[in-house]
Amino acid sequence: MFFYYLRLSALSYKRNPILSSLMVLAISIGIGAYMVIFTLNYVMGGDPIPHKSDQLFHVQMDIGSPGQDRDIPRQLSYLDATALFEANRANHETMTSKFAGVLEPANAEIKPFTISGRGATADFFTMFEIPFIYGNAWGSDADKNVEQVVVLSKEINERLFGGENSVGRSITLEENQFQVIGVIDAWNPVPKFYDVNNGAFNKGEEVFIPWALVVPLELSRSGNTNCFKAFEEGVQGFLNSECVWIQYWVELTNSNEEADYLNFLNSYAQEQKSFGRFEKKLNNNLLDVNEWMIEQEVMPDETRILSVLASMLLAVCLLNTIGLLLSKFLGKSGEIGVRQALGAHKGSLFIQHVIEAGFIGLIGGLLGLGVAAIGLEGIKVLLGEDMMMTQWIRLDTTVASFTIGLAIASTIVAGMYPIWRACNINPAIHLKTQ
Amino acid sequence: MLEMAHVSKSFRTELVETRALDDFSLTVGAGEFVTITGPSGCGKTTFLNLAGLLETLSSGKYFLDGIDVSELKDYQRAKLRNQKIGFIFQSFNLMPDLNLFDNIDVPLRYRGVKASERRDRIEQALDSVGLLSRQKHVPSQLSGGQQQRVAIARALVGNPLFLLADEPTGNLDSHTALGVMELLHEINASGTTIIMVTHDQELATRSQRNIHILDGRLSSEELNDHTQKRTAA
Repeated sequence: MFFYYLRLSALSYKRNPILSSLMVLAISIGIGAYMVIFTLNYVMGGDPIPHKSDQLFHVQMDIGSPGQDRDIPRQLSYLDATALFEANRANHETMTSKFAGVLEPANAEIKPFTISGRGATADFFTMFEIPFIYGNAWGSDADKNVEQVVVLSKEINERLFGGENSVGRSITLEENQFQVIGVIDAWNPVPKFYDVNNGAFNKGEEVFIPWALVVPLELSRSGNTNCFKAFEEGVQGFLNSECVWIQYWVELTNSNEEADYLNFLNSYAQEQKSFGRFEKKLNNNLLDVNEWMIEQEVMPDETRILSVLASMLLAVCLLNTIGLLLSKFLGKSGEIGVRQALGAHKGSLFIQHVIEAGFIGLIGGLLGLGVAAIGLEGIKVLLGEDMMMTQWIRLDTTVASFTIGLAIASTIVAGMYPIWRACNINPAIHLKTQ
Repeated sequence: MLEMAHVSKSFRTELVETRALDDFSLTVGAGEFVTITGPSGCGKTTFLNLAGLLETLSSGKYFLDGIDVSELKDYQRAKLRNQKIGFIFQSFNLMPDLNLFDNIDVPLRYRGVKASERRDRIEQALDSVGLLSRQKHVPSQLSGGQQQRVAIARALVGNPLFLLADEPTGNLDSHTALGVMELLHEINASGTTIIMVTHDQELATRSQRNIHILDGRLSSEELNDHTQKRTAA
């Protein structure tokens, strides 16, 4: 009977094309607007590494000054990051920071250009499950031995080597030679959870080098550096300072490991207090990926306000749909009466009209996809080309399926009252008057 | 086959209660052709709606083919309607979007008949009213008489025990009405019981029995075969 009812739905649409199209229009506008905001939320609020996000923890230690009522710093100082790294208390851990540098291609036809790079210790690649096209990441020995090796992004490998296997080749970065040991595949977690300081929706880095090289090569740091005390001039003065600029992540597989690591952090902080550092009350933090995204308010307040507005618009459109469906279904009272006389019971009439409402919702949803696509293009224009987030804003299969599903479900829900009314007409009245 | 005993039906609004049928009793046997007559508003259509299980009784008892229908649930009444009753209406009540084949298909769909059997029965029903060649036409492409023939085919396709006809010739010219009446007599002759509401006394005399209703009560009953007239107490 499903296909029979579907055919009746199509015939019913043809019988009242204007009324039916008005409903489809109302649904498509409501659903389209809602899906624009849903897509933004989906992009901004998605879990960037779902199968592992509860095992990756961002480390925070409150080294702020007692007089400063500020949140716990997002990053760690060189002193603390290197101390934690040397303690080696987690299954995997990485200290990492972003830098910028000038790359001089071997091909003289390509002019030198600025790239964004990331210094990281070896576990960075395994912890964040970064896929490789060619070669591999460096091991912990390269960290210890400060080897001048580099991993390239797919994009930069394309630019420098035409996409060929460049493992074993060399690049010149800030006048230093680096040997290519690996090329990663497209990897752009959204949000860019491992470094929200440099924009949660910014593009990933183009080159990766052992973190131990960042300081000796004096590569220029990208991102925030917050200092809580004055420090001596020079590189060593900065390294010994209470300036935070390094992101630190650990991988912990269960709650016991998490508790143990937090105890370790607290012990470390307590020890530092005894040396005269960490003047504020003990306040260390271990947040997993999703907790960290919430803590950092990756999703701006404006998005929440827009969500409420879009929901209200959808509600208004559905209220209109209720009125239009009521008019449409009660206009079919004669037919409903005849069907009852011929053997239809209320249950079968109910199913018939649920399918008809779903059919209208389906068409509204398909049209709503178009409205959403236009809306998202508008958002991209509003955000501007320089916002890297725009590249992630698109209607993928999941969002499209959700749009259609939401349109069908919401139209059926909106249709409940009209359907109930239609199924409870007195057939005797309408058979005589039809 | 159809037995109503002391049936009453009232319609109530906030201010007024109207008794459309009052202490109405009637028995119709298998194979009969019974007409119901009476002035407008006397309760003819209410009787037909009760007989067709489209309305519920306010009081009394109604047995249809031996089944007490007074307490049946909606789906049970719908099933009985589908299996035992065929309806013919004054305004035909065909569905304008569906072609003739699909119009006649409706009761069979609700009965869950298989597609191949449905096709055979629909073609047979259309053939019996002489419209098989026009099965793909929609009702608006037919004359009034042809539309009523389709409605009769739809009523018959499920092989009901009886037909309930509400002024089936009311919207037809006299010549076409005569053709429809001949068809109904043929159907009755083949064993189907027919109960027909009509204003037309001439048509009423053609039935085997005529029931006259007045103010919701059975006023008189006339057996046309024997020209015997009884008046209700």
